[in-house]
Amino acid sequence: MKRVPYPFWFLLLLLTAPLLLAQNADYRQDPRWHAPAEAAEKKNPLATKPDLAAGGRKLFTRHCIECHGPSGEGRKKAANLQLALVQEQSDGTLFWKITNGNPDRGMPSWSGLPELQRWQIVLYLRTLKLAAGP
Amino acid sequence: MNRPLLWETLYRILPAPALLFLCLLTTASARAQEAPYFVTYDHHLEEPGNLEIETSSTAGVPQSGQRLFFAPYVEFEYGVTGRLTSELYLEGQTTSGDGAVFTGWRLENRLRPLTREHWINPVLYLEYEGINEASCITKEIAGHTEISNGRNATLAHTHAHELETKLILSSNLRDWNIATNFLVEKNLSSSEGFEFGYALGVSRPLARLASGRPCHWCRENFTAGFEMYGGLGSTLDLSLRHTAHYVAPVIGWQINDNSRLSFSPGIGLTPASNPVLLRIGYTYEVQGFGRKLAHLLGAKTSGGRP
Repeated sequence: MKRVPYPFWFLLLLLTAPLLLAQNADYRQDPRWHAPAEAAEKKNPLATKPDLAAGGRKLFTRHCIECHGPSGEGRKKAANLQLALVQEQSDGTLFWKITNGNPDRGMPSWSGLPELQRWQIVLYLRTLKLAAGP
Repeated sequence: MNRPLLWETLYRILPAPALLFLCLLTTASARAQEAPYFVTYDHHLEEPGNLEIETSSTAGVPQSGQRLFFAPYVEFEYGVTGRLTSELYLEGQTTSGDGAVFTGWRLENRLRPLTREHWINPVLYLEYEGINEASCITKEIAGHTEISNGRNATLAHTHAHELETKLILSSNLRDWNIATNFLVEKNLSSSEGFEFGYALGVSRPLARLASGRPCHWCRENFTAGFEMYGGLGSTLDLSLRHTAHYVAPVIGWQINDNSRLSFSPGIGLTPASNPVLLRIGYTYEVQGFGRKLAHLLGAKTSGGRP
C-alpha cells in the first residue's frame, strides 16, 4: 500500500484546525458597529406600505429567528431587537446592519437578499417595538 | 450518442431525484440567499454555527464511444465563524457498464478577509483533495482535460493528493450576484505542474419582494442564472489546447425554510468537454447545529440580552 507522505498529515492538520476553533463569544453590543452617516439617513422606500411587513415577517422567520428568537427577543449571541437600544436606530442604520452584517460577532451579511426584501425586514422589525409595548 | 444506453442510464438516474422531489413536496414550509451555482463560489459564507448538508450529483453524457457516468457526492458545510466556513466532501462514481467506486474526499476552507460589503468582495479558498483518478464530480475544472476510457477498478487505484486554491471575487449589484473564481491546483502526487482554471457565475432572484403568505411556488423562492467554467492550461503547457469549457444555466428553488433544490444542465463548448453535464443538488440546512451540539454536550446556554 502506498505510504502517505508526511506533509499530508501536516496539511490535514492545517486544514482541520479551523474546525477546532470555538464559536463566537457571547453577545455584547459592539461599539464599533456604526452605519456611515449617509447610510443611516436612508429612508425605507416601503415605509408607506406597512402591509409588506408580512413578507418581512416571513423573511425574519427564515433567516433571523435562529439567533434573534421568534419574537426578536434575542439569544445568547444576538441582540434583543425589541429594546429601545435597537428600535431607536434609524431605518437606514438597520438596513445597513442587515446588509453588511458583523461577521466578527456572528452576524452574517444578508446582502444576497434583494434590496427590497431587506427593507421588508426593517419594516417588520418596527412591528416588534409595537408588540413589546411602549 | 448511443440512444438506448442514454435512456437506460437516465432510467437509472431519474428515480432518485423524482423520489426526492416527491418527499420535498410533502415537507412543510424555505431559506437562504445563496446563489444556485454548482461550481462558482460567491462571497456568502455559511452562517456561524449552521451545518448545511448537500447531496448532489453530476451525470455526464460523454462523446460517442465513451460511457455515461453518474457521480454523486455529499457535502457537509459548517459555519465556523462569521468569516470562516469549512466543508467536507465525500464522493463516488458509477459508469454505465462498469462498477461503482468511492472516489475520495475533499476538505475545503473559505475565509472572508474583509468585514464589510464592498463593490467587490474577496474570499480566499484552500482545499485539500484525497481523491483517485475515477473522480468525475467536476466540482472544478483545471488544466487540460483527457476523457478517460479506463475501468473504474483500475482508475480507483491511482490516488492523487491535490491542493487547490481559489481567489473568489463576488459582487451584489442591484439584486444580481456576479462572481468570478480563479483557481490554481497542484497535484502533490505527480509532476503535472500548476494547473489553472476559472469559473464565472451570474444569478438573480426572480422576485424582489417577499409575499406575506406561505407558498412553495412563489417567484421569490426561485433564483436563476448561469455559470461558465473551464481550464486554462498549466505551467507545463500554458495554452487552451485540450481544455474543457462549459456554459450552464442554473436554477435554484427554495423549497422551505431549510431546504433547497438546484438544477443545472451544462453544455460542453470544446472537443475536450463532455457534450452535456447534468447536475442536480438538494441542500438541507441544520440551523444552530453548533449551539445544539454544545447543548447536547452539556454546555451552559443563557437567555438573550442586548
